[in-house]
Amino acid sequence: MKLNLKRREYANTYFDYSLLFMIFFLIGFGLIMIYSASAYDAAISSNSNNDPAFYLKKQAAAAILGIVVMLVVSRIDYHFWERFAVIGYVVSVILIGLVLSPLGMEINGARRWLNLGISVQPAEIAKLAMVLFLATLICHMKKGIRTKKGFWLVLLSPAPICVMVWKITNNLSSAIIIFGIAVLMLFVASPEYKIFFLMGGGVAALAGIVVLAITKIDSLAKLGFRSARILAWLNPESDPANKGFQTLQSLYAIGSGGIFGKGLGQSMQKLGFLPEEQNDMIFSIICEELGLVGAAFVMLMFIIILWRFMVIANNAPDLFGALLVVGVLGHIAIQVILNIAVVTNTIPNTGISLPFISYGGTSVLFLMIEIGLVLSVGRGIKLRRL
Amino acid sequence: MKIQTVYRKKIFLLTLVCIFALLVLWIRVVYLMVWKSQYYSGKAEDLHQRERTIAAKRGRILDRNGVVLADNQTVCTISVIHNQIKEPEKVISLLSKELQLPIDQVRKRVEKVSSIEKVKGNVPEEIGKRIKASGLSGIKVDEGYKRYYPYGELASKVLGFTGGDYQGIIGLEVKYDSILAGTPGVLYTTTDARGVELENYGESRKEPVSGQDLYTTLDYNIQMYATQLAKQAMESKQAAQVAILVMNPQNGEIYACVDVPEFDCNAPFTLPESVQASIGENPSEKSRQNALNAMWRNHCINDTYEPGSTFKIITAAAGLEEGVVQVSDTFSCPGFIIVGDRKIRCHKIQGHGIETFAQGIQNSCNPVFITVGQRLGVDKYYTYFEKYRLKEKTGIDLPGEASTIMHKKEAMGPVELATVSFGQSFQITPIQLATTVSSIINGGKRNVPHLGLGVLEEEKLKRFSFPCKSNILSPEVSHLMGELLTQVVEQGGGINAKVEGYTVGGKTATSQMLPRGSGKYISSFLGFSPTENPQVMALAIVYEPKGIYYGSQVAAPIVRQLFENILPYLDRMCYNK
Repeated sequence: MKLNLKRREYANTYFDYSLLFMIFFLIGFGLIMIYSASAYDAAISSNSNNDPAFYLKKQAAAAILGIVVMLVVSRIDYHFWERFAVIGYVVSVILIGLVLSPLGMEINGARRWLNLGISVQPAEIAKLAMVLFLATLICHMKKGIRTKKGFWLVLLSPAPICVMVWKITNNLSSAIIIFGIAVLMLFVASPEYKIFFLMGGGVAALAGIVVLAITKIDSLAKLGFRSARILAWLNPESDPANKGFQTLQSLYAIGSGGIFGKGLGQSMQKLGFLPEEQNDMIFSIICEELGLVGAAFVMLMFIIILWRFMVIANNAPDLFGALLVVGVLGHIAIQVILNIAVVTNTIPNTGISLPFISYGGTSVLFLMIEIGLVLSVGRGIKLRRL
Repeated sequence: MKIQTVYRKKIFLLTLVCIFALLVLWIRVVYLMVWKSQYYSGKAEDLHQRERTIAAKRGRILDRNGVVLADNQTVCTISVIHNQIKEPEKVISLLSKELQLPIDQVRKRVEKVSSIEKVKGNVPEEIGKRIKASGLSGIKVDEGYKRYYPYGELASKVLGFTGGDYQGIIGLEVKYDSILAGTPGVLYTTTDARGVELENYGESRKEPVSGQDLYTTLDYNIQMYATQLAKQAMESKQAAQVAILVMNPQNGEIYACVDVPEFDCNAPFTLPESVQASIGENPSEKSRQNALNAMWRNHCINDTYEPGSTFKIITAAAGLEEGVVQVSDTFSCPGFIIVGDRKIRCHKIQGHGIETFAQGIQNSCNPVFITVGQRLGVDKYYTYFEKYRLKEKTGIDLPGEASTIMHKKEAMGPVELATVSFGQSFQITPIQLATTVSSIINGGKRNVPHLGLGVLEEEKLKRFSFPCKSNILSPEVSHLMGELLTQVVEQGGGINAKVEGYTVGGKTATSQMLPRGSGKYISSFLGFSPTENPQVMALAIVYEPKGIYYGSQVAAPIVRQLFENILPYLDRMCYNK
């Protein structure tokens, strides 16, 4: 089912300019917000050489590189990458393992980065690798996906990486995202419905029981830090100085925004009150500065992007392309949903960045590669079929 | 070739679920940003705003004629703001030069990474202005106030002083703190998380309300002159302490309250050299505090003493009021009197012989007063003691008034009654004695002695009111007492207090300091003028005079000198009109 288009046939193919435009817009918007959020702190911190544009410059460099790579990838037939599926998996495992080596880098107390000249977060690479690996695996299994064995193989194949990301880099949220991507891809590939609802229901019930159990334990000494986080989630004002601190600061920022916000650059919470203001918490700053209107606009942009992904996936020339797009869709959707859920204290606090907007070079670079893949799949759509 | 429909359905479903989740979150965002907006933005504002109190200007303390006894000086606090300093070397050299601080010390402050670092407080205004005029960025000059007492030691134990937060510590400063203090203002500034103030956000302030000026009953001239007399007496008699109380017997206003040695209100924590030497170079905190408390102690109010013969005024008044003695009654003094199994001596060993009651007062004859006491009996005597309010505190508007130390009624036998009758074996404060005698000679009005006169309200003095209990004594007896005491000065033991051109009444006293036989005495004289409707009363107490220690010779001349000067002055001032 390979599709090899010759050069001249490209003219008749589809290119999703609207998606490209929205991505550009989000990247540009993200850069503005990163500058707005980080400039004050960056100017007074020696970590950023007292340069207010420190984070902006680093992110802009990564974004420009990302755009170039995206355009290149979008011009390459996506089937080209199929052969790298296993290598990608293995490389991810090695890179995550390397975090333990002297190449590993610690930032803000978390050892999640590799120093390869520039700092690289292996978990971000693993997300892309997992999308490619699972798409390839599912296509190779053909009807095998319908068997129980196939189902569990797909479901469990990301487990090693998830466990490594969780245990080695102590990054549960990335592990959950990688696993979530796998579940979503499996959901699309498998004819099953019931098992997914059962799984979903099971996870929800388990979470409920855990939360209930934690609230019943009266002694704080018995609680680990994740349990304390859950208590802080239920009532952030019970521990405003420690576990509930970031959440509360985030809520202060969001609440102060009101309908129209304080205006671009006018955030108070970014002045050192809200930790990770240019990173995981950037959505709070958007809310504070641009208000409900700005927040709704950003969310709408993501909804449209997801919709574009769906259109491309549904019209993909083959299952491999469709699954690649579904993987990317899952990745972005999960991160956006979890990020907004965290900053609004809808779920317990955990570090998840907002795609395209949050500060993070590796993240934006690999997201752009993913978009490149999606655009490449989009090219495979013959216009007349639309 | 298109992918199978089953995939498309699933992809569609998946996308819908994701979009649905985003919509749910959108509702959550709307809830936070619309419904909870006020709550969270209020909380955030609390977090961003810092409150800085603005000191209120403390009210001044003035004498009754408007002479300022306690004032405020503008002083500056010099601080540096680390991240606003652009030329650190210039800042360091300027501050060390102007503030006369070692370069290293200033450098430490300037180079410390903190939001704001205080370099020096209590800097005189002109230096603060010079520093401000330099225009170097990063230096903050905050103006504040410092208490300043223009006359240093004058009335120190009455005025008191203020502490680091500008709060009263002793004296009128603490008693009238609520009037003097005012209400501090608040400056709300917006700061970042490190506490650095943000200039663009402006600041709102609640202005401080200055404290009210306190007018006192003191008269600067009388206080000044009484202080001089006390100092002279202390020097010439090599006394330990000299206290002089001058008051208006009609209404309890205190014109002067002197207790030398005084201390410097501008340096209340500096002990005199002699005291410092006696407690050593590095005294313990406790011994230093004790020494300070002793220095601040106002003997007129905070300490009791055995009044001695001046108390015979009370015994006489009680006897006359009760009718157990008449002015013309005759007594015989052989130089002693037997009470129970004891022989109590008169100060004149050979005795006063036959004398009338009036002469007994002039002679300050102990057996006469013991006899009067015996005629009253314990019950009656005790009733008068209480009726004259000797057992209560006077209620003077100064902190730390000492209580009367008196026998319990049940414990009062004939000997106790006899000794109390001539002013021994119990203790009262000088202010209690002066106040009680005032009520005896003013027609029976018991006033609360006081120093607070009032505050200005719309340019007019609004006087404080103090309770006054009248008729604790009949006007007739009061009048009679005035006459009898005038005779004491005219022809009795108080002759040294006689002032040409004025009628003066009074009573001397010489009491032993406890323990008896220590050879230490307290000489005192209580005088008033004129006899009719007395306008001023003075009580002079000399503690531990060397050499001659009789009240008639040590204390009476002090009151005479005082009266010679202040009586004409008071005639001019007309304080009772």
